[in-house]
Amino acid sequence: MKSRQSRITHVPLARWLIIEFTGLFIISLLWSLHSVLAGYSAFIGGLIFIVPNAWFVNRVYRYQGARNAHLMVGNLFRAETTKIALTAIFFAAVFTLMEPVYVPALLFTFAVMVLAGGALRWLIRPQPRR
Amino acid sequence: MEMVFIAAAIIIGMGALATGIGFGILGGKLLEATARQPEMANQLQVKTFIMAGLLDAVPMIGVGIAMYLIFVVAG
Repeated sequence: MKSRQSRITHVPLARWLIIEFTGLFIISLLWSLHSVLAGYSAFIGGLIFIVPNAWFVNRVYRYQGARNAHLMVGNLFRAETTKIALTAIFFAAVFTLMEPVYVPALLFTFAVMVLAGGALRWLIRPQPRR
Repeated sequence: MEMVFIAAAIIIGMGALATGIGFGILGGKLLEATARQPEMANQLQVKTFIMAGLLDAVPMIGVGIAMYLIFVVAG
């Protein structure tokens, strides 16, 4: 039992979230120099990426190990589908429910966060523990 | 107006198709590699996870642009 537990991969979700939120605050502050509307639009654009992505990470690492490989792959597909659906729902909600939105700031921040998120997972990888 | 919806449908559809093919190959290779070397399962999962993040970057941006077309440009 002990050896099984020691092989669990540590996912640095908290570190990722802290770095992503720090980056998001900086981008939002930069956009708020343009206008307050652009600032909060940028913040919402970042949140649209961060929330579904945190869900994705949580679901993907629910199962680990060779015995659970089929569950892992199934969870990967389900998590990806849910992530894209959540992103579409959040965008639809923002565009319909929030009346004044500065769209360039929203889409730019979302695109930057998507690209930065991929790079962040490449730089700070989950560490398999032996 | 209809052209905007067609454009959004093409963006989402092509993105979904490409992501589906990519994730199918990725998941298949993960299962194949895990069956060959079960002791590498955790490291393979990490690599799959990183590749999944890179794979869905462009479709995610496509979904954002498509929602903008549907709800702002056409709406």
